[in-house]
Amino acid sequence: MDLTNVYQNNYLVVVIFLLLGILLPVGALTAGRLLRPYKPRKEKYTTYESGIEPFHQSWIQFNVRYYLFALLFVIFDVETVFLYPWAVAYDKLGMFALIEMTVFIVMLAFGLLYAWRKKVLKWI
Amino acid sequence: MNWQAIEWGAMLPELIVLGTSLLLILLDLFLRKTVSRRPLGFLALLGVAGAFSALVLQLHEPSIQLFHDMYRVDGFSKTFKMLLLIGTFLVLCLAYDAKLGREENVRGEFYYLILTALVGAMFMASSADMITLFIGLELLSVSSYIMAGLKKHDAQSTEAAFKYVVSGGIATAITLFGMSYLFGLSGETNLYSMAKALQETALPDQSYMLVFAFFITFTGLAFKIASVPFHMWAPDVYEGAMVPVTAFLSVVSKTAGFIFIIRFFVLVFMMSKGVNSDSLLQQVQPYIIWLSGITMLVGSIIALRQSNVKRLFAYSSIAQAGFILAAFSVFTPALFETMWFYLFAYVLMNIGAFAVIQEVTTRNNDTGMTSFEGLGKQSPWLALAMTIFLLSLAGIPATVGFIGKFGILIALLGYGGLHYVLAGILIAATLLSYVYYFNLIVQMYFRTGEVKEKRRSQKGLLIVTIVCAAATVIFGIVPNIALHFFYEQFSISTFLQL
Repeated sequence: MDLTNVYQNNYLVVVIFLLLGILLPVGALTAGRLLRPYKPRKEKYTTYESGIEPFHQSWIQFNVRYYLFALLFVIFDVETVFLYPWAVAYDKLGMFALIEMTVFIVMLAFGLLYAWRKKVLKWI
Repeated sequence: MNWQAIEWGAMLPELIVLGTSLLLILLDLFLRKTVSRRPLGFLALLGVAGAFSALVLQLHEPSIQLFHDMYRVDGFSKTFKMLLLIGTFLVLCLAYDAKLGREENVRGEFYYLILTALVGAMFMASSADMITLFIGLELLSVSSYIMAGLKKHDAQSTEAAFKYVVSGGIATAITLFGMSYLFGLSGETNLYSMAKALQETALPDQSYMLVFAFFITFTGLAFKIASVPFHMWAPDVYEGAMVPVTAFLSVVSKTAGFIFIIRFFVLVFMMSKGVNSDSLLQQVQPYIIWLSGITMLVGSIIALRQSNVKRLFAYSSIAQAGFILAAFSVFTPALFETMWFYLFAYVLMNIGAFAVIQEVTTRNNDTGMTSFEGLGKQSPWLALAMTIFLLSLAGIPATVGFIGKFGILIALLGYGGLHYVLAGILIAATLLSYVYYFNLIVQMYFRTGEVKEKRRSQKGLLIVTIVCAAATVIFGIVPNIALHFFYEQFSISTFLQL
């Protein structure tokens, strides 16, 4: 019985966080609305572009290349996440871990090779 | 741990398939663009054949465990891996024939994606740990998502891939949620340790949570086998994907889903207590019975109104999933045998049918039922093969499908109670299935179609139809060969404890 209570209490924490997550933006925005002055002008409704006056429509085509770079970044990021603890504990882990790591890096290298041959690395 | 201490030989089939797929990736990346990728198909076939022979060599070795009981090579995994390898081999033959047209440049990718999906499925067959099971499931799913959308310029294919990814993602999330409950209750990820932990704790409140976990995981896994409530992706995805991919999804992927279901649910829930002192798996039987009944009826009834062959086979495969689930609802040791044999039959007859569908739809450039018109006159052998497959799917005696269905029916009738109702539904669904299967036969023999240009003889098609048709008839007449093999390999005691 105790165990079940402990288990369910864990979910209570989740519920509290959920409520906090909902209430925080709602509260902040409502407070802002109550406190700020309301003086609309035409210029205030234009799009904010770092202080420069907007000169054309915002519906334009843009390059999704950054997304591919983000994906590639994930390959290397995951690699470091695993390599770092392995390097720290290298003396204790020994040969077996070295071979395992080699297999892991070779597998990731396949991903990089794939990206290279599919011309992901080329900036057009 | 020592590098040499692990018996790598036990993983040889998986390693061969994995190695072949890596080799194919390298070749596909570094061969010149102008070089045809077709020969790579031979390499893929060779890899699968190599893995198959490695598996055959393993058959007489005792069962072993690797990596702290994460990975088991026992009778269960060997016999079911056999089905996966046979299925993939036949699908690769179909893929060799596939006409890609504008997308000819993805042929190489196509071959190695089938192989990576196969590695995932084989891992599922062997793993005894929730984590490896899940990784195998995801490897299979992610490869399948890409395969469904391989025809980038085809709107239907893209739609299929998108629907598949979205509904697959939801199903995966649901499965994982259920698994998290099980982990929370038992504190283990290994299926055997979980079973032990869940058996010991007998708190009344926990058993409700356990039942809840069962329902959630089962619902999530219903996606992989395309049964109610997660069946609606099947028609759209089957229609949009290429025929070999459709065959892969409906046969190999479904078999892998059933492997997951058997291993996971039987091991974890057999010994654990449900809301009263019975085994949980006994108590949820009515739930499985109704799901299986509804799946059969939904599949069969909606199939009646289909005019597209691929959609027809999608609903037919939903109904077939219902039949196999019916075998799962009977909780006796015979469950393994009936399910294995039905899946074996299903691999043969369904891939055979898809081979003919691929040939006919490419010939006509149309996936409507009418494209089968006059096939009996035009290509009598092809029509004969299709007739055999359809009769087997419908469950007519002297075919392997009949033996499989008969086994399920006998198992249901031997159990009694609510299972009688399910037996009735199974017979009703079978009768309904006669209407749509025989409708295709009518199209082939009693309608005259315009004479179409024949394609030059297709090697893959030839192999698949001959092998499947011969095996469908042979195992329909002497099923004991297959059953004997299964008895020899599989024993329930090694499945439960090594």
